Amino acid sequence: MEETQSVKNTLLKIAGLLLLLVSFIAFLAKAPAFPIGSENLLPWSVWFLIAVLLNMFVWGIVVKLMTYALGVVWFFALIAAWVPDTSTNTGTVTELDWSDPDAVAEIGLAIFNGKGQCSACHTLDTSAPKGRCPDLSDIGNNAANREPGKDAKTYLIESLYEPSKYLVPGYGKIMPEVWKNPIALTKLEIEAVIAFLQSQGGEIDPTPFDEPIDRKEIGTAAEALPPLLTGDPEEGKRVFIDAACISCHEIQGLENPKAGEGNEDFEVVTAPELTEIAAFNELRYLEESIILPDAEIVSGYGSVTVIAQGVTYQGTLVSQDTEKIVVRTKAEDGTETEHTILLSDLDEEPIEDLTDLKGRGYLTLTITPIDADAPVSGEIVEESDTTVTLKVGDETQTVSKIDVKKQATLIDFDGVKTVGEHVSGTLDDFEIVIIVDGNEETFDTFDIDTDNSVLASASGKRLEVKSPMPNNFPDLLSFREMADLLAYLSTLTGATAEEETNEASSDTQEEVTE
Amino acid sequence: MRRCTSQTKKRIFLIIGFVLLGFVLFSIVPAFAQDMTDAEYRPFPMIGSRNAAWIAAQLHLLFGSFILGVPMFAVIIEFIGWKTKEERYDRMAQEFIKLCMGAFSTTALLGGVLVFILVWCYPKVLSKLSGIFGPTMIFYVVLFFGETFTLYLYSYGWDKMQGRHKGWHLFLGVLLNIWGTAIMFVSNTWLTYQTSPATQYGKLSDQAKEGWLEHTLSQNPELTRAEVLKEVTDTTVINLHNETTGEFLGTVMDAVNNFTWMPVNIHRLIGNIAFGGSIVAAYAAFRFLVAKTKEEKAHYDWMGYNGNFIALCGLIPLPFAGYWLGREIYMFNNTMGVNMMGALFSWLFIIQAVMIGILFIGANYYLWSGMGRIEGAEKYARYRPIMIAIIVICVGIWMTPRTLSSISSASEQTAMGGSNHPHLGLFGLMTAKNTVVNIVILTTFLSFLFYRRSGKKPTANWKKLGNIIISSVFFLGVVVIVVIGIVGFAVESDVRVNVLTPWQVLVALAVMVVVTIIDIFMYRKATTSGTIKWGEMTERSQYVLILLAITFTSLMGLMGYARSGLREGWHIFGVMKDTSADAFTPSLSSAVNMVSIIMVIFFALVGFIFWLGLWGERKKQKAVPTMESEAIAEGND
Repeated sequence: MEETQSVKNTLLKIAGLLLLLVSFIAFLAKAPAFPIGSENLLPWSVWFLIAVLLNMFVWGIVVKLMTYALGVVWFFALIAAWVPDTSTNTGTVTELDWSDPDAVAEIGLAIFNGKGQCSACHTLDTSAPKGRCPDLSDIGNNAANREPGKDAKTYLIESLYEPSKYLVPGYGKIMPEVWKNPIALTKLEIEAVIAFLQSQGGEIDPTPFDEPIDRKEIGTAAEALPPLLTGDPEEGKRVFIDAACISCHEIQGLENPKAGEGNEDFEVVTAPELTEIAAFNELRYLEESIILPDAEIVSGYGSVTVIAQGVTYQGTLVSQDTEKIVVRTKAEDGTETEHTILLSDLDEEPIEDLTDLKGRGYLTLTITPIDADAPVSGEIVEESDTTVTLKVGDETQTVSKIDVKKQATLIDFDGVKTVGEHVSGTLDDFEIVIIVDGNEETFDTFDIDTDNSVLASASGKRLEVKSPMPNNFPDLLSFREMADLLAYLSTLTGATAEEETNEASSDTQEEVTE
Repeated sequence: MRRCTSQTKKRIFLIIGFVLLGFVLFSIVPAFAQDMTDAEYRPFPMIGSRNAAWIAAQLHLLFGSFILGVPMFAVIIEFIGWKTKEERYDRMAQEFIKLCMGAFSTTALLGGVLVFILVWCYPKVLSKLSGIFGPTMIFYVVLFFGETFTLYLYSYGWDKMQGRHKGWHLFLGVLLNIWGTAIMFVSNTWLTYQTSPATQYGKLSDQAKEGWLEHTLSQNPELTRAEVLKEVTDTTVINLHNETTGEFLGTVMDAVNNFTWMPVNIHRLIGNIAFGGSIVAAYAAFRFLVAKTKEEKAHYDWMGYNGNFIALCGLIPLPFAGYWLGREIYMFNNTMGVNMMGALFSWLFIIQAVMIGILFIGANYYLWSGMGRIEGAEKYARYRPIMIAIIVICVGIWMTPRTLSSISSASEQTAMGGSNHPHLGLFGLMTAKNTVVNIVILTTFLSFLFYRRSGKKPTANWKKLGNIIISSVFFLGVVVIVVIGIVGFAVESDVRVNVLTPWQVLVALAVMVVVTIIDIFMYRKATTSGTIKWGEMTERSQYVLILLAITFTSLMGLMGYARSGLREGWHIFGVMKDTSADAFTPSLSSAVNMVSIIMVIFFALVGFIFWLGLWGERKKQKAVPTMESEAIAEGND
């Protein structure tokens, strides 16, 4: 009898413990209520409470304490499950279905309460105590009346992109620019928020709009910018002169007020004439040429630095064919000399990084695959991220860019150079091991002039053509100045110059006549 | 005399092994991470990268807090034992350090696991951080060596360095705390920088000032240097990065001295004391409940009381430090501050209020229970109902949500006249909450005062006047705090945050300081009317100690989620975007579920470590009838 009782007690204890653990895990995992057939029985939280009570009675002090501890932990989880849940996981908005404006407004509401953090300061309830920012419960209606001549949507767009533009009396300048970091709403998200705001007492207007901002300011341009056609050509002409474009670029009829003075900030070079630039090029090309001068270089205006048979030539690339290049150099006294250089005479340079070889101007490559004894050398035909195809003699050969033997050229502070096959270590480590004449040698990097030493994956001949134009105009010019400059350049179709020339000559004639 | 056993040696080797492993890992982190250019993130099997890092980091932090917190009060208790020549204090301090030793290797192990997870799952983030903080990481490892060897000298030299060497032993204890505090300060730089990668202009190095100026000029070419500098004061918030490229513009010290570094340091320093005390108290409660003899019960009752006392000493100033941290977050980024207290995390702070409410109510309950075993404490019993009512009402106000829009139906809102209750809605505002926190703290302090006075009779002839002064100071203090709180409803938030609330805090602190000084002088030559009957504490009170430890731990987990979650979709706020699948702040319930899982793992590990300690001691306990426990049973506090 006692034995049966003992077995029963043991079973009860085990059952209690099992129920405790299972119900705790199921509760945390937010499992649906324990099902019997198709009917739910009891929520897991209730099962857990039953298990706690059971264990507190049947077990000894140690398990009793464990149960108690688990019960306390569970209690806090239960409170968290009761209070409203908020998460910034509102998903990514990739498109808006304007055929259903209410659905767009729903997305806007989620952003309003989540990622946009609008609800932290704005209320949607007129009876709420005064918040940090105005109540928006009727904003869809009264946005149209806030500023004379501005419709509701325009007012909302301007208010979201430039919050300090219109301040409701009694509220300060505390709203952040939501398109900038850290909130960083995308254009689509802002569109959805505007739809939601319009739905608060007004009609949703699905008309698309252009963003009145430059997303490049935050380094995360989400979408291509619209063409910059809103500038003032007259202002642009001033920018062209003030920003010293005129120092290098000539435009007929436009005089350089500082002609002959030179420029301390950059070297004055011969650059393409722009009198008819807009007649043959799209505005997008002009924009790209200012922002990324190296993207496309007008033939005969590129700047090169090449080393051929130990001599460095730095100047303008006048012409180029499959065998030779012509480089024009300028001496300090202004004397210009043209040098014809055979491509076969170019010196090979060590290459540390093998990515985008062609883009960086490499013509040939000498590389040693990891499983080969001798290097492979040839003209670069094509390349991928991991391989490069070389023309070796009459054949092509594809080799890996990753599994290669590295060549180390180590120069100590006395100028002694040691060349060998790399084994281990980098120039940033404490030591580097290379094979010299079949023997492994270890070099302490403290004894090496790491600035001049090279750990190269390959070597090759390079002809990199760059634009001599400074590439910091996007930083130097404001958004407005850039728009004005482009507006001015877009007027340069040749006609303007002709007219100005004609006007100038007629003025001269009139003066002569008088 | 104690000898170094083979088990001890093994343990030492194990610790040194872990430290070396940590050193190797930190050394290879930058190079390792740089080689992973093609992998920004790697998934952690089964549970995902974020959860893996979360669990490892939180467990590491909990164990770290324990091993940094315990030596702080252990050395103070040892000092008390040395000065009063009461050996029981010395023995208790030694017992605390033994618990610390058990947790030390687990802390190092968890630190290693965390680094592994970060190196594997977040190579780019670690590469970025190590690129900025590289020198501090080396310094951290050096400090860890110092901490390890000092702890071993301190612990294993305890018995040997008695008598004339005691001063040197105490010096080791102080040194241990210096290492420990420095370790925490260094590691705090990395995580606080992730939250607030900015500082004030006045704190910047010359290099960073120049870098920032150049960057600002390049962004605003229409401005001159003089125009930019004209707008800047020493308190201007300066981001340490190029806003477009994310490039770091300052020096290591600029990154170290970021906005939230020092507030987090102080908050954690005090928090570690409270947490360490509560875990020690929970350990004592466990030992009390399983104790077989009266002596054992007396010893662990005494230990539990001391643990709880230490926890309360940490808990009382903790809200003030938390307030400072919150203020710095507001100053760094107003949106982040608003998000923390008024938006995404507003309900989290309701749960925090529940937890802190439990802590204060539990701590007060324990003190009142303790007064039950002191003869002559009955006279204070009549104040209990009033104090309970004050604390419950204050905690209720503290738990009032800002708005009820998320939890009430449309009809309820119509009945209320909006999403805020017309009267109770006022309690949801910060000014009301700050007021009640200060009152709860003062009430708990009063409980302390009653406990301290229990069983004693002052002999000073000005005792009546002293009591009148103390009552008046309390009364006036509370009135001033309430008046400031009411004024807070009518002023701008800037004034409230920067002027009124600090004044409330100062008033509460002033009351405690003034009352403590008067009370010490009043009871300096007090006669004893009744002794403390150690070991006669109720079992319920021991469960309260365990409740306090779990609540402290859960609170740390919850606030860890808040601190980290404030960054939202950023690894480094506003600088390095999280582009992984976990680039969002999880919901509160999911986060608390994760914290619950961590709590279960933590207490399972702590239980195992304590059990190991108990296992080794069993034989000794049978052999040595504790004279010490008898002394405690007869002694006073």
